[in-house]
Amino acid sequence: MAAQAPPFMGAPEVLIERLNRGVRKRNARWTFVRDHAFGDALTLRRFRLGNGLTVLTLVDRSAPTVSYHTWFRVGSRHERPGKTGLAHLFEHLMFSETRNHPHGDFDRLMERAGAEANAATWTDWTCYYENAPRDALPLLIELEADRMSNLVLRVPQVTSEKEVVANERKLRVDDDVEGRALEMLYDNAFRRHPYRWPTIGWMKDIRGFTVRDCKEFYRTHYAPSNATVVIAGDFNEQKALSHVQKHYGGLPASRAAEPPTPTAEPSQRAERVHQLTAPTPTEKLLLGYHAPSFSDPDTPALVIANEVLFGGTSSRLHRLFCLDEEVALSVRGSISPFIDPGLFEMWIFLREGKRKEDALALLDREIDRLASDGPSPLELEKTINQLELSFLHSMETAGGKAEQIGFYETVANDGAAVFDRLAAYRNVTADDVKRAVGKYLRPSLRTRVEILRKAS
Amino acid sequence: MSIFVESSDVLPLVDLEIALPVGSLQDPAGQEGLAQLTGHLMRRGPRGLSQERFEDRLASLGARMSVEVSMRSTRVRATVLRRNLEPLLALLADVVWQPALRGSDFSKLKRRAAAALTSRLDDDQALGAVCFREALFGEHPYGRTLSGDTDSLARIGIQQVKDFYDRNIAKGAFLVGVAGDVADTEVRSLIASHFPKARRAKKKRSDVPATRSRRGRHVVIVDKPERTQTQLLIGTLGARTRDRNLFPLLVSNTAFGGTFSGPLMQQVRGVRGWSYGAYSRLLHSTQRDAWYMSTAPAAEYSADCAALQLELLEHWVGGGTKNTDLRFAQRYLINSHCFDRDTASKRLEARLDLELLDIPRSYVEKYDQLVARVTKQQADEATRARISDKDLIIVVVATASEVASSFERLPGVRSVEIVPFDRT
Repeated sequence: MAAQAPPFMGAPEVLIERLNRGVRKRNARWTFVRDHAFGDALTLRRFRLGNGLTVLTLVDRSAPTVSYHTWFRVGSRHERPGKTGLAHLFEHLMFSETRNHPHGDFDRLMERAGAEANAATWTDWTCYYENAPRDALPLLIELEADRMSNLVLRVPQVTSEKEVVANERKLRVDDDVEGRALEMLYDNAFRRHPYRWPTIGWMKDIRGFTVRDCKEFYRTHYAPSNATVVIAGDFNEQKALSHVQKHYGGLPASRAAEPPTPTAEPSQRAERVHQLTAPTPTEKLLLGYHAPSFSDPDTPALVIANEVLFGGTSSRLHRLFCLDEEVALSVRGSISPFIDPGLFEMWIFLREGKRKEDALALLDREIDRLASDGPSPLELEKTINQLELSFLHSMETAGGKAEQIGFYETVANDGAAVFDRLAAYRNVTADDVKRAVGKYLRPSLRTRVEILRKAS
Repeated sequence: MSIFVESSDVLPLVDLEIALPVGSLQDPAGQEGLAQLTGHLMRRGPRGLSQERFEDRLASLGARMSVEVSMRSTRVRATVLRRNLEPLLALLADVVWQPALRGSDFSKLKRRAAAALTSRLDDDQALGAVCFREALFGEHPYGRTLSGDTDSLARIGIQQVKDFYDRNIAKGAFLVGVAGDVADTEVRSLIASHFPKARRAKKKRSDVPATRSRRGRHVVIVDKPERTQTQLLIGTLGARTRDRNLFPLLVSNTAFGGTFSGPLMQQVRGVRGWSYGAYSRLLHSTQRDAWYMSTAPAAEYSADCAALQLELLEHWVGGGTKNTDLRFAQRYLINSHCFDRDTASKRLEARLDLELLDIPRSYVEKYDQLVARVTKQQADEATRARISDKDLIIVVVATASEVASSFERLPGVRSVEIVPFDRT
């Protein structure tokens, strides 16, 4: 990032001394942990409240906006069979009533301030975020702190949100071919690990949740010590930390024991093949190869492999499948960015009349070629430049920066590691790619979902 | 030369755009999809470079390029790492003014366009949106799809594409926009050395006839098997861009269905949990474009949801907007406006839109005042003048056998048409 006028920020030790002056409650006292360079011009600072709440600040005055993210270390992996989808349902309930604000107040106050408030849940985390005009920051802090500990859970809200989530499931899964196929893939690729069930949950489980389930989940997972707050954008750091101290400082550290570590997934020894018949105009192939975790040293090489195979219109498989052979309308690949080992997903959207067997043979041939020959120097150059471009685009707004910081903090335990990742990509060699492809992209390690046309 | 520059050194990135005032409204009748095919064929690269070498060149520069065709514009956009700005600029100019337009690429592109039409059948939201515009606008050009249909694509050959290019793009007007890590003087000098001398577009007040609504309430069911959930669009004509009612209607619509806490979302989702989303949208163009509500209720209560929405609509049009809701909408629109300009590329888009879409300059420069000065009386009058609760198109993507009878019973419905989802 290029230099910009440096924002005024006092020395963190002085800042902390000021903020802690006269504060007796241990939970409300700040500790400065460290700062990290965030590109060439910005500094990411890490603070911790006595109750365990981690706060990361990034002052960036390039636009008069601020982004406030709260990342909880709870996702669908922390659920159990019969109660799947609870983390996601809970995300919905967090927009409900609190002891200080009646139902509807949260959204009304946010929108009146011009803030966009939303949330997302996945396997390893739940994230609540607001992008707002800079003057709205005190409101964001007050409302987020309030719902972290004062949520009111009653039958009408839980009943209504269960219906909303059931409708969301129909929208994203039951009536969506890709959604159904992905659910089938993870359900069959994993036998023991909680990644096998969908984050939105099985419909039967969604219908069955009680207020008691929700209260227990809240007590267990929603506490300052299980959360990271990221504040990015145009704000006064001292005032922001003072507001955080005021509103979060009275909250207790944690109310329940750490959740158990999920069972490790046993190794897969042979390909698993499943079929899904749906009212769809064209056949599709979805493949999932067991892949390393997001923080695994092999992951950067696999990301490069993914770019070489699927990254944009100059990639090998786009060229082969969509332009030269005209077998598919589109192809795409991605690696699940999970704390534990996930899947390298590959999609092939076949054209009408094209055979899935031919497409699979082409894919296997190209994977073998990459494993034996590796990427060319031109492909490595293209890939690195494209990843740099994507990275820079993700940093364009305050919201984008906060999202990257929160994600890396939650999944890789270091909010500043986003820059290390770019450096890691630059260090990947052709041999690294060959080795990673040979190790992970083997047919015996994959699960295949064949999506077939249902005769009308 | 019309060059618009938004400098920002926040990131070492530059966005570039060549905007051409030509779009699908220029498609000859029966050749719908021609403007889009032309744009996409240009995207396959300039003369002297095979498509493969062109794509490699783009990717190795750390650049991406797209051609987006709308009703009234073709926008060739690129984004690039700052260090590679000049070579990308030259490549972009060649794509627009020296396109290869190869017959072999065209054949493949046409097959791809046909495959994309087939693939769209998987997307219920897209099916509903296409059907809604067709039903609302009928034969009017606003009812055409950008991508055409199987029959219209079959009528287009490479010669039609070349003619379209020669007539509308090769010597036509254009604007250039640049946003990001570049100084105004530097980029003007680079553009002068790579681009042809610019031609300005003549301002045209209106390029299409006025849109007209069909009398009464009409239901179209897009029949698709095994739908547990439906896509529901209910709407009518909205406003013109240069409509004196536009800002009052913008505020009024925001109060009704433009936010999460508005009555539409609260009644459909908050109270009943019937749909994940429930919003109303106001579109505007040179002639009156669409206004519509969109929801996605389960099949078993889709008609109930439609009935509720009709009731809310009648209450809004007939009873007006509460003062508190109006003030809330005004604050929301003004306070959130900063997100329309928080990056250099968004500020650039706004400036290009002004020029290209004949948007009054005051809409951008005096946005806050225009929103703030809307009174309840103006908002209510604009709503009554522009939004009809009697002349409505109701489109539902659903399994017809499960919903048809309940939709027939909706109040005021004059006709129910069932169309197969894969009719094209």
